[in-house]
Amino acid sequence: MSATVQYLLSGISIGAIYSLIGLGFSIMWSASRAANFAHGDVVMLGAVLAVVFVGQGILLTLAIPIVVLLCVIYGVLIERFAVTPFSKEVTGIGWMLSTIGIGIMLESFVTITFGSFARPLVTPLIEKPISIFGAGIYPQELLIPVFAITFLLCLELFYRRTLIGRAIRAVAFNQMAAGLMGINVKLMTAISFGIAAALGGGAGILIAPIVQASSTMGLLLGLKGFAIAIIAGITNARGVVIMGLLYGIMEKFIEGFISSAAREAIGFTVIILLLFIFPQGIFGKKEMVKV
Amino acid sequence: MSKRNQLFLYSTKRILIKTLVVASGVITSVSLQAQQAEPCIGASVPLTGAASFGGEAIKMGAEIAIDEINAKGGVLGKKLAFMPYDDSGQPPKGVDNVRRIALSDNCIAMLGGYHSGVQLAMRDPVAQVGIPYVGTTAGATAIIEQENGQNKWMFRVSAKDKWVAQFLVEQAVTRSKNKKVALLYENTGWGNGGKPDVEAAMKAKGLSLVSLETFNWNDVDMTPQLLRVKDAGADTVIIWALDREGNQILRGMDKIGYRPANIVSAWGLAGNLGEIAGKLSNGVLVFQTYIWTGKLDPKGEAVWKKIQAKYKLNTPQDIKMGSGIANSYDAVYIIAQAITKAGSFDRTKVRDALFQVNYDGLVAKYEPAFEKTQERQDAILPKYYKLSAWHDGKLLPLSETPYK
Repeated sequence: MSATVQYLLSGISIGAIYSLIGLGFSIMWSASRAANFAHGDVVMLGAVLAVVFVGQGILLTLAIPIVVLLCVIYGVLIERFAVTPFSKEVTGIGWMLSTIGIGIMLESFVTITFGSFARPLVTPLIEKPISIFGAGIYPQELLIPVFAITFLLCLELFYRRTLIGRAIRAVAFNQMAAGLMGINVKLMTAISFGIAAALGGGAGILIAPIVQASSTMGLLLGLKGFAIAIIAGITNARGVVIMGLLYGIMEKFIEGFISSAAREAIGFTVIILLLFIFPQGIFGKKEMVKV
Repeated sequence: MSKRNQLFLYSTKRILIKTLVVASGVITSVSLQAQQAEPCIGASVPLTGAASFGGEAIKMGAEIAIDEINAKGGVLGKKLAFMPYDDSGQPPKGVDNVRRIALSDNCIAMLGGYHSGVQLAMRDPVAQVGIPYVGTTAGATAIIEQENGQNKWMFRVSAKDKWVAQFLVEQAVTRSKNKKVALLYENTGWGNGGKPDVEAAMKAKGLSLVSLETFNWNDVDMTPQLLRVKDAGADTVIIWALDREGNQILRGMDKIGYRPANIVSAWGLAGNLGEIAGKLSNGVLVFQTYIWTGKLDPKGEAVWKKIQAKYKLNTPQDIKMGSGIANSYDAVYIIAQAITKAGSFDRTKVRDALFQVNYDGLVAKYEPAFEKTQERQDAILPKYYKLSAWHDGKLLPLSETPYK
């Protein structure tokens, strides 16, 4: 019983990390039909900057808004210089290469300046695990799914209730029509990338105490977050969060009942099978293109 | 045939013969030149990527040794140069570096790097180009003890996983009360190479591992594996991992309320485990070939002072992967002595001279450094292996900690 609860709790925690990263892809894609392919590196940037600022003696509570702001600036710059110039054509995929390239550059820069060792972000929430039905988990790990769900609810409210949110949805629905209606498409795209980067940076701060900050921490997380977004249906934010949680739980049960060596093989097989069955993603809708 | 034609044929013949003579002379001199390598030692090490600290350690030790040798006039009257190249922990880059060092730079020898997977990929190119290779960190047994028994060029001044496994198993079994030992190893060339060595070492003691668990780099949660280890009743765990994953293992143990009486580890946990795991790292025993913290002998003290000055370090605690520094320091001296004994910068002669080197080094007394069996193309014998322990964020010699 306690083993099952352990797999469930650990799975929800790791799944929430995938959800947060997948959600970033969803936000960017919905607005521009493109994304920062190296979004995992934004997560890394958030974690590394937080460790650096705290290391300089800045309080974590003060460091968080600074880090998030810096990540927003990074996200907007990526959109301006690495995505938009290469995604003017509907079929243009140059943004994939440009964003991956910048991600690799960022990783190398962080390795040189921050060092190759993983470094901790100390918070009181990982000092002592708590017990739930005999299973142990750090409070920080529980905070991640709570944050993911809260962010999702706020995002949905933002999209539905605010002018900017509605404008972003209009841009996501049809960029040209939105432009003709007087919506500043460029600005809405930039805001979307900024929100995604803020989420990425925030996720980095949140997970750094658990995974430790390092230049390579975003690589696999970014890949899995992207995979989650694809199988969920990238434009369905709620679906992405649900899929992330389910995938994390599935991973832990594979590790628990089969073996940890089989985790990636079975996990990615499931992803490919799901893509065969649901080409638009489990929660995605088939997009109609009028010609 | 007219006289004019005869003259033409005669002249052509003479020109052809002269050309052939000149050409053969050029070829002979080129091939003679190719046998004489340059007074440089190359290295393929990770200078970027997650394990760049390992490459930096190798670089530090080699640079200090080369500085010392050159300050005394170099080798055979020539100053030694050091040519390190980044392999980023990627096997194809390591293969490329071998060719660059041997063919482009024409170095007399090269140092091997940090990742076992990279060194294993380098075995064929090293044999093809024929360059003395001296490994300094990566410990996979098969790097030196090759399956075909034909290793002619690869040597190592570092730990050998087969011997490390025997050492760790000895430490684990001696400390274990119920003789139930488990192994947690990373799913990499290094980890997968170490696993059969540990199993064999346990078998030699008439025991078998009660639990055998693996994990990948960057894994965030190890609780499923640790629950199985706990259920198997292991009171002693051998860890074959790097610091980041070692931290996750310790945190996983913390979460499920399981702390085995003994945790013994290969040297992957000799980096910054104390910093990232905090008090959870207390009492984790780590194998090393050299320990810079604690009391040093005069030779170690002198080298530390040079490291401190050159790389602007404050205390020996700032050294990461210190065994790599000491190993590469000794490796460079062994190569330099082999060149002196060979009396030339001829790679084959230097390779043969490596078997004649006797050297009192930082890590060990090499008497001789190598012998003509694959097993003894490893220079650091198990009797020189050491155990350190994490205590309050510091990695210290075991004797200077409260642990036994």
